[in-house]
Amino acid sequence: MAATYDLTPKLIPYLDRHLVFPLLEFLSMHKIYPEIDLLKAKYELLAKTNMVDFISMLYKTIHDTEEVPNEFSTKRDEVLQTLENLQSEAQKVLDIIENPEVISALRQDKLQNLNFLKEKYGLTDKMLNTLYQFGQFQYNCGNYGGASDMLYHFRVLSTDHELNVSALWGKLASDILDSNWDGALEEVQKLKETIDQKNFTSPLHQLQQRTWFIHWSIFVFFNHPKGRDNIIDVFFTPSYINTIQTACPWILRYLTTAVVTNKRKKSILKDLVKIIQQESYEYRDPITEFIESLYVKFDFEGAQHKLKECEKVLSNDFFLVATLPEFVENARYLISETYCRIHLKIDIRYDKYYSLIYLLGNRSSPDFLISSGLSQTLNLDQEAGEKWIVNLIRDTRVDAKIDFKENTVIMNQNHTSIYQQVIERTRGLSFRSQILSSTIEKREAHQSASTAEAVE
Amino acid sequence: MSRFFRGGSDSETDDDDEIISSNEEEESEDDHISSSEDEATSKPAAGAGGRSKFLKDAVSDSDESDLDEKREVKSAKDKKLDALESSVKTIENAKKINDWVAIQNEFEKLNKIVSKSFGSIGMPRVYIKTIASLEDFLNEALQKEKEAKKKINATQAKALNSMKNKIKKIVRQFEDEVEKWRQNPVETEEEDNEDGDIEKSSPIEKDDSLQSTDALDDEGFEQVGKGNRPIEYTSDNLFKKLREILEARGKKNTDRLEQIKILQKLLGVAATSYQQVRVLLALIPAQFDYNPSMSNYMNVDMWKSTQKEINQLLTILESTPSFMIHDHVEEEEEDKEPVIEPGQTFGIRGSIVSFIDRLDDEFTKSLQNIDPHTTDYVDRLKDETELYATIVRGQIYFEQNDLNESTSRVVMRRLEHLYYKPDQVIQTVENTVSQSLPSNLKSSITPPAITQDSSDLIHALCVYLYKKGESLLRTRAMLCHIYHHALHNRFYIARDMLLMSHLQDNIQLSDVGTQILHNRTMVQVGLCAFREGMIKESQSCLQEICGTGRVKELLAQGLQLQKYSQLPPEQEKLDRQRQLPFHMHINLELLECAYLTCSMLLEIPAMAAAGSNPEARKKVISKPFRRMLDYNERQVFSGPPENTRDHIMGAAKALAAGEWQKCQELISAIKIWDLMPETQKIKEMLNRKIQEEGLRTYLFTYSSYYTTLGLEQLSTMFSLPINTVTSIVSKMIWNEELAASLDQINNVVVLHRVEHTKVQQLALMFAEKATSFVEANERTLEQKQAVGQNQRDQHRQKGQTSQQQNTEKRTMYQKRDGQQQRGRNNFNNVLGNSVRGRTQQNRYRS
Repeated sequence: MAATYDLTPKLIPYLDRHLVFPLLEFLSMHKIYPEIDLLKAKYELLAKTNMVDFISMLYKTIHDTEEVPNEFSTKRDEVLQTLENLQSEAQKVLDIIENPEVISALRQDKLQNLNFLKEKYGLTDKMLNTLYQFGQFQYNCGNYGGASDMLYHFRVLSTDHELNVSALWGKLASDILDSNWDGALEEVQKLKETIDQKNFTSPLHQLQQRTWFIHWSIFVFFNHPKGRDNIIDVFFTPSYINTIQTACPWILRYLTTAVVTNKRKKSILKDLVKIIQQESYEYRDPITEFIESLYVKFDFEGAQHKLKECEKVLSNDFFLVATLPEFVENARYLISETYCRIHLKIDIRYDKYYSLIYLLGNRSSPDFLISSGLSQTLNLDQEAGEKWIVNLIRDTRVDAKIDFKENTVIMNQNHTSIYQQVIERTRGLSFRSQILSSTIEKREAHQSASTAEAVE
Repeated sequence: MSRFFRGGSDSETDDDDEIISSNEEEESEDDHISSSEDEATSKPAAGAGGRSKFLKDAVSDSDESDLDEKREVKSAKDKKLDALESSVKTIENAKKINDWVAIQNEFEKLNKIVSKSFGSIGMPRVYIKTIASLEDFLNEALQKEKEAKKKINATQAKALNSMKNKIKKIVRQFEDEVEKWRQNPVETEEEDNEDGDIEKSSPIEKDDSLQSTDALDDEGFEQVGKGNRPIEYTSDNLFKKLREILEARGKKNTDRLEQIKILQKLLGVAATSYQQVRVLLALIPAQFDYNPSMSNYMNVDMWKSTQKEINQLLTILESTPSFMIHDHVEEEEEDKEPVIEPGQTFGIRGSIVSFIDRLDDEFTKSLQNIDPHTTDYVDRLKDETELYATIVRGQIYFEQNDLNESTSRVVMRRLEHLYYKPDQVIQTVENTVSQSLPSNLKSSITPPAITQDSSDLIHALCVYLYKKGESLLRTRAMLCHIYHHALHNRFYIARDMLLMSHLQDNIQLSDVGTQILHNRTMVQVGLCAFREGMIKESQSCLQEICGTGRVKELLAQGLQLQKYSQLPPEQEKLDRQRQLPFHMHINLELLECAYLTCSMLLEIPAMAAAGSNPEARKKVISKPFRRMLDYNERQVFSGPPENTRDHIMGAAKALAAGEWQKCQELISAIKIWDLMPETQKIKEMLNRKIQEEGLRTYLFTYSSYYTTLGLEQLSTMFSLPINTVTSIVSKMIWNEELAASLDQINNVVVLHRVEHTKVQQLALMFAEKATSFVEANERTLEQKQAVGQNQRDQHRQKGQTSQQQNTEKRTMYQKRDGQQQRGRNNFNNVLGNSVRGRTQQNRYRS
């Protein structure tokens, strides 16, 4: 089951080698796939990078030997060689840039800066590109912080658009891998702007860029504290929601989770439900199915079952594992909210079929017990259930009362009274009429003025 | 036989001559009278003359008298020949004295005679010879003249120059003959002589005289002899004849049938494959051209023979890969057998793809004109397999020769023969075709593995066109592909393709045929949604076509009677040409039935929900349905339902009244459902929908009369499981369609509908009216401002736009009002940037 809903194979094609690595680490931690397969995958993944030491270590583990083929050592030497070369070259540029005089002389205009540097310090385009290469090389070696710095310097100076975009991607990846989430979030914004602004030769290319962007940004969105607001903002813009629908419907899982765990964005739920419905033939997992059964079928029991499945899926998802408790809590909240809105009277007794408690809690789930404070015993169940509902009423401002004698919750229907309706409808009228009359007056004044002019 | 034979042969070789003439003699002994004439003609041949001397003596009397007779019956042709000879002689004489003026005069006379009397039939050898010798002489003279310019006087020089030009022209005209004569002047000269002889003796023998010495020619000669034709077809003079025919083509007095016959004969005698190709390239268009009018269709027999010929052409081309037929060859009609070096290709001008196109078109035309309810139609339809085989074969040929443009076109043709057919038919056809094709022909676009599955096949064809085709073909391929998906109930795929391709954005800009295909596709997608139980989707797909009331016209399945205006005849003619053959039709009654059923399932609950609210009542989902329902309700008596419409109207009324069982009965009683695959499933689906919608309608209609409704009771009333009832009610509550909530303890729906007091109602109404009043004021002001500012401009623009609209409405096949708002969803090309598409898609789905 964990493997069926595992998205890693779908995500990998859209991620950089280095970005895939944490995913694989996570998988091996959770033992979803056989260990040896994962090791091999890791080896394959990193074989083309410059992290020679690590690769040789992996090689040893896979083949269970202490011997390492010669190619590793030669490669290692090569890598070190290139690294030194690049470093010495890049150092020249860095020396120039880090010169305090230079820093004070730099301005906003890139072109001007570049010319200035070229004239005064003999900086050449080639030298600048060394910075880029050095950054890339460091990234390949796993030195993400250094790569990030190099690419930053490069971007400040270079005017080459293509390379700049590449550097942007590189910096984003470096920041992600360096867990520099603030920086990464900034890069995400910049990259998004670039992708949206840039005129791509073919829509296909743009789509591809967006797909990549979506996949990379998940790293940031689910790790940065503000990320979950951002993911909703970004992914619900038409172009991105289209990208998701066309190229990568599985991203819906992350989007759904973000929406569910976000208290402020409930208004977006309706759109989400629509999208999930639309894509249901193409992609479904317990998380989308949960939303579907709650908001399309109004099958509360089904939603409850799905929620249980969701827990499993989420706990095995690299990005979402941290959101699990939050998700469960919010999902319960959604269920009860919807349930309350539809129902007039709800039984809070535990043993009754279809009661709220039944729906909300599943007896064996320790998660729920912790979050709701329900204890194992039946008597306390009811009491705790009450408490939970009281909390719910308080938090959500549902207009409801508990009838202790009947053991029910009674929802007060707050339909707007007729007087309210009349007030609503007539509210803007006087204001609008005022505007109307003022415009007419203005017009008349204007007309009379112009006629007066004509007479003169 | 021998008569002709002798005439022909005696000029050739003496041996032959002897044998035959001795035969002749024997014969003449038997039959003096009949042979005497021959005798006279054969006399000039020296050997024969000597041997038959004694015989001649014996019959000399009769001989002489015969000769006399001969002179008397001299035909007009002979006279002309004489005239010809005499002018040739004059020219010869003039040549001797270098009298160019005389030569010129005489030559003109000669040309006149020749063109008058011999025309297109063929030039007498004498003439050719004269031309050839004149040319030589002229060149010589020119040479001389250059050396000593002063010798010639002005008039002579002028004549010389004009002769130079004339000869050049004429020589070019008879290049081949001249060439031939030059190669072998003696032989042709003899032929000439004998030509003359036979010309004199009898018109029948003339045929023979041209016959070459090949013994094989016996048959050819016989055929021709019987036909009593003045001309003779051999592989030698084939190119000449071909050229003559090509020149005569399209001229006023050309007998097309005659030409076709001649060409067919030529095909019979064509010896090499090059000749065959050339003749076929002339014959096929000639047959297509046989029928001059656009509206009539090609004779079926002729169509068949043409089809065979195209096949033959393809066979030749397949076996001799050195020939290439394409459009880009320079016009270099060489009438000679080309010398092809191995490994090289020789281009021939022509276009096979246009033949195939035309063949297909003619087939469609014939189907359009044959009454579809007769066996003729069925018989004709059987030919489609052969046609299809030809198309496939053409495709393979083009593929192998990398003729991309042709391949795309022919692949499109193939696709258009496939897309609307059910799997079994496609498979049968494919199997027959693959058997009929030579085994060495393999297509890379459609390898045999793919042709086994119709969807794979269509996918392969479409993908080829997406990659290689031009934009129109791509559009059409896309539509066919969608149609095919829809036909196989793959609604989502079809829908996504439709939306992502953004076809609907600019389909109105494309040609009418494509628009028809688009309409067909839309309808098929709608029907697919219906079969899949997606009522709303189905309705929105069908709305545009069925809502117009011009279904027939939009689908090109018959001409709509124009109620108020008469179509101009040209327009009508065009419409007629666009009609689809009957076997491609989408059943209109079924279509209407599906559309109305969908409309019923959506409209009745909506009407119930609207209740007495006049604003909501104005929102009409399906106008035609409403109209029919109103009409039906106005009737004083409504009898038992007879047709599909009656059934649906009855069902709608029953549904509105909450009698879902009656509604089910009526809907199930519609016979046309049987035309859908899996009828039973569809009926079940409909029954289920009716139950659900019945419940909704019931709740809408009667909620105001209850405070609570038991869920159990609702469940039994509509025989739905209680879960479903709860789910439906919940949904209605959640969507704020129903002012109610569920009481979980008593298992009832509590309805909160509050009856307003009179004062409250009036207050509401007052508020509403005040709002609309303010709105009206605002609108008026806006208008005034706009008008005041640029009154004139506006007026002009308005006039223009309305004019445009009128013309558009008249010319456009597709009515596009409403669809802009209705979200006939736009899609981008396949992938990417589908921004607008998806948002519109939402509307389309909502």
